[in-house]
Amino acid sequence: MSPLPPELSTELHRLVTAVDNPREAAVDVMYALQHHYGYLCDEAMHRAAEVLGMTTLELESLATFYDYLYRRPVGRYVIHVCDSVVCWMFHQDSIFDYLCRTLGVPPGGTTEDGLFTVLPAACVGNCHNAPTMLINGRFYDRLTPEAVDAVIAELRAGTEEPVRCK
Amino acid sequence: MPDLIIDGRPVTVDKGVSVIEAAERAGVMIPRFCWHKSLGAAGACRLCAVMFVEGPVKGLEMSCMTPAADGMVVETGHPKAVAFRRQIIELLMANHPHDCPVCDEGGHCLLQDETISGGHSLRRFPGRKRTYQDQNLGPFIQHEMNRCIHCYRCARFYQDYCGYRDFGPMQNANRVYFGRFEDGPLDNPFAGNLADLCPTGTLTDKPGRFVARRWDCQRAPSVCLHCSLGCNVTALSRYRRVARIEARDNAAINGAFICDRGRYGFGYQSAQERPRAPLAAGRPATPEEALRAAAGLLAAAAKRHGPDAVAVVGGQRSTMETQAALIALARAAGWRAPAFFAAAREQAQARQALYALTPPRARSLADLAKADAVLVVGVSPLADAPMLTLTLRQAARAGAAIFLADPRPLALPLDHVHLPLAPRQLAAVLAVAAAGEDASGLIQQKFPLAPELWPRLEALAQAMAKAKRPALAYAPALAASLPGDDRVGLFPVLAQAGTAGAALLAPTDAPGLDELAAELAAGRIKAVIAVETDLFAAAPALAARLDALEALVVLDHLPTPTVAAAQVFLPTATLFETGGTLAASDGRLQRAEPVQAPGLSVLADGAGDHPPRDYARPLPGTDPAPAAFWCDRLGRALSLELPRHPLAEALAAHPVLADLDPVTLPAEGQRPTYPGREPATPESPPAQPAAEGLAVVMETPFFGGDELSRYAPLTADKTGPAVALLHPDDAAGLNLADGATVALDCGDAPATAAVRLHPGVARGVVVVPRLPRFDALPPNLGPCGLRRRETP
Repeated sequence: MSPLPPELSTELHRLVTAVDNPREAAVDVMYALQHHYGYLCDEAMHRAAEVLGMTTLELESLATFYDYLYRRPVGRYVIHVCDSVVCWMFHQDSIFDYLCRTLGVPPGGTTEDGLFTVLPAACVGNCHNAPTMLINGRFYDRLTPEAVDAVIAELRAGTEEPVRCK
Repeated sequence: MPDLIIDGRPVTVDKGVSVIEAAERAGVMIPRFCWHKSLGAAGACRLCAVMFVEGPVKGLEMSCMTPAADGMVVETGHPKAVAFRRQIIELLMANHPHDCPVCDEGGHCLLQDETISGGHSLRRFPGRKRTYQDQNLGPFIQHEMNRCIHCYRCARFYQDYCGYRDFGPMQNANRVYFGRFEDGPLDNPFAGNLADLCPTGTLTDKPGRFVARRWDCQRAPSVCLHCSLGCNVTALSRYRRVARIEARDNAAINGAFICDRGRYGFGYQSAQERPRAPLAAGRPATPEEALRAAAGLLAAAAKRHGPDAVAVVGGQRSTMETQAALIALARAAGWRAPAFFAAAREQAQARQALYALTPPRARSLADLAKADAVLVVGVSPLADAPMLTLTLRQAARAGAAIFLADPRPLALPLDHVHLPLAPRQLAAVLAVAAAGEDASGLIQQKFPLAPELWPRLEALAQAMAKAKRPALAYAPALAASLPGDDRVGLFPVLAQAGTAGAALLAPTDAPGLDELAAELAAGRIKAVIAVETDLFAAAPALAARLDALEALVVLDHLPTPTVAAAQVFLPTATLFETGGTLAASDGRLQRAEPVQAPGLSVLADGAGDHPPRDYARPLPGTDPAPAAFWCDRLGRALSLELPRHPLAEALAAHPVLADLDPVTLPAEGQRPTYPGREPATPESPPAQPAAEGLAVVMETPFFGGDELSRYAPLTADKTGPAVALLHPDDAAGLNLADGATVALDCGDAPATAAVRLHPGVARGVVVVPRLPRFDALPPNLGPCGLRRRETP
């Protein structure tokens, strides 16, 4: 395992010492490591286990439970498409299907250029703007197929560093 | 106390008892998957739904999640409840692979039972079934995740009940997966229970896989021989070979579980190396020839040198029947009384450790789990009495303070305070525990050199003083120092399964093995008869002089070096073949039933060519007989008057055990009324102070550490490395680094070991595993007893 950058080590230490029981910081620590590694690779899991004094199994239980922790490599933009009941009500043809068709990937798949990963999410808490999706921490509201096309085109052309969830 | 009616049967239970448990007491078995009486409710499977028609709760509810309340009227067979349960079963079966014909659980599977009883027989769901990748979970548990119904029993047992953290649930919703982070053996030394617990074939017994259907096995209630606790087990045998050991419920001792040492240590019964043929003059013989030879040799030695020239050695892994028969034989022949213990002092200590268990003070393992402060002294729970670990964990989960005073480093899955103290300091810990809340003066006086332990010792004194139900688990060497306070419950942990029996039955003037060794060295012993004991392990000093004997007669069922040295050998039957009476360490006498006849397993006998084509021959391998039988025959060959039922007569004549009848012992065992400790309990001799060397403390490896599992193929290779554990400060004083190779002074040939440093080791102590190579280590290693060896 290559050493972590000192600022990340400091940050992990801060997260763990800020709480009564290191366990409480488990998700935050994994998030920080995910940000560093791009996804929660096995090395990241072992790092988290060391920092938290938990077993990799306990962390795996958490990491595989939550939607925003990725145990497999993901694209530059992770599209969490809301797959919940309100979004269905507001759009007859599934935005989710449309995205998969447009990008040519199955649910959970990553485009060949490594730009996009499409994941269903059981409600992203943006029902008043349904149908909706969440890309790297940014909401896209009241989607239509045309709006989705525009977003994809914008992201493809974009050069800015993607916003990561924090 | 809530009164309720379940299916028309009135039942009264304690407050807090769930309806499913109340129903069980009324004799109504409500279908369930996730609820287990030791694990409690999870509400995960939804199968135990019943209809509440009257009372504070109304409608269809889960009986495991609903506490029994006054006035409840419950109908388990209400049409709505039945229909609900049928749907649940259908849902659970939607993903089940239905591979019962190739599943080891088939025939004793809760899912099968509930599917049939739920009336589900036709699949309506046309979709695909969920599939998983299985993991290799090590040598004992087989993983087949496709069969899982997500009841969470395994995860709750593994993490909550046992406290191990390398196996558990992953993913979510319909994809929940129970396993490890990656393939590998399970850390939990109680993981074998997963096979018993799992209501499906997801987690099954790997060594017993594809060996036999459960209904084809001969089954018998037995008692575990792998430590002194006396856990109850069911032995399963197929084709004259023990196929599997399962936990058997005994609410007072092991509850529903056993440890993996007890579950997987049975292989000595059918091991290829097991000596099954009698030997006379070192050559195979018929039983009659061997008996005649043994009688001739022993009689000749007694005639030439006097009856005192015959020494008798008994084993601590024998049944009380064997021990009583041996004692009766020695008495009738006028030989020396049998030696069961390393020293006469140890025998007296073990007896006093049991005699101290007067009715107000005796505790069972189940009682110990309810204590609110427990002090464990001189016992390493995982090594000496594995199930004690789980008991302590349950006590700790309920809020008890757990203190362990032991020189060995302890890796226990529970909150505890460890007091790493040398054996000679342990008696002082008992004094501190009994000193009341203000013990600081005593602590400073008794432990002047260990100020780092003072806070822990003060916490101990306070916890024991404040506790309402304090308890003490102790090694017999501390019997003389037990506090007299009747408030403190007592639970001794003895060396082996037969130790309590030997301590109770052996004549009080019986010699120790050390005395026999000295007598042999002095030329006053000319013949030895050893029954179910390995002299090389139990009495190395005696074993070193076997050449000086005129006769060595050995009775055993293990291929020990003692058997190899025997002039006359008589094969004995194992507990699986004889059954017998055993005294557990909590003073309870229990009965084990035989599960099969002795005889070579069909697998070994037929060598794959089944059925054997040689029809005329007698059943092979049937020479082994109960050791008590051989003792009786030997007595007859010597024309002695022997009691017809040695154990019954020994019990009848015993000051404490006279009320017990070994034939009619109740299923949960019976504890006699012990009279209390006698005043003249011998203390252990003062050991050398640390400055003069290191005290040697043995740690029994979890597998292969006891004599039986040492010869069981499944466990024999899992003893772990030969390491000598030292405190880092002691190692620094000896100029030893972690990983250095050392030679330990061990009689003729030094034993080598790798040094490991561990801060949990007491100062002045070296901890070595109980392996054959260390058997001859002296109790104290002098200044030159531990030398660094240059690695070649």
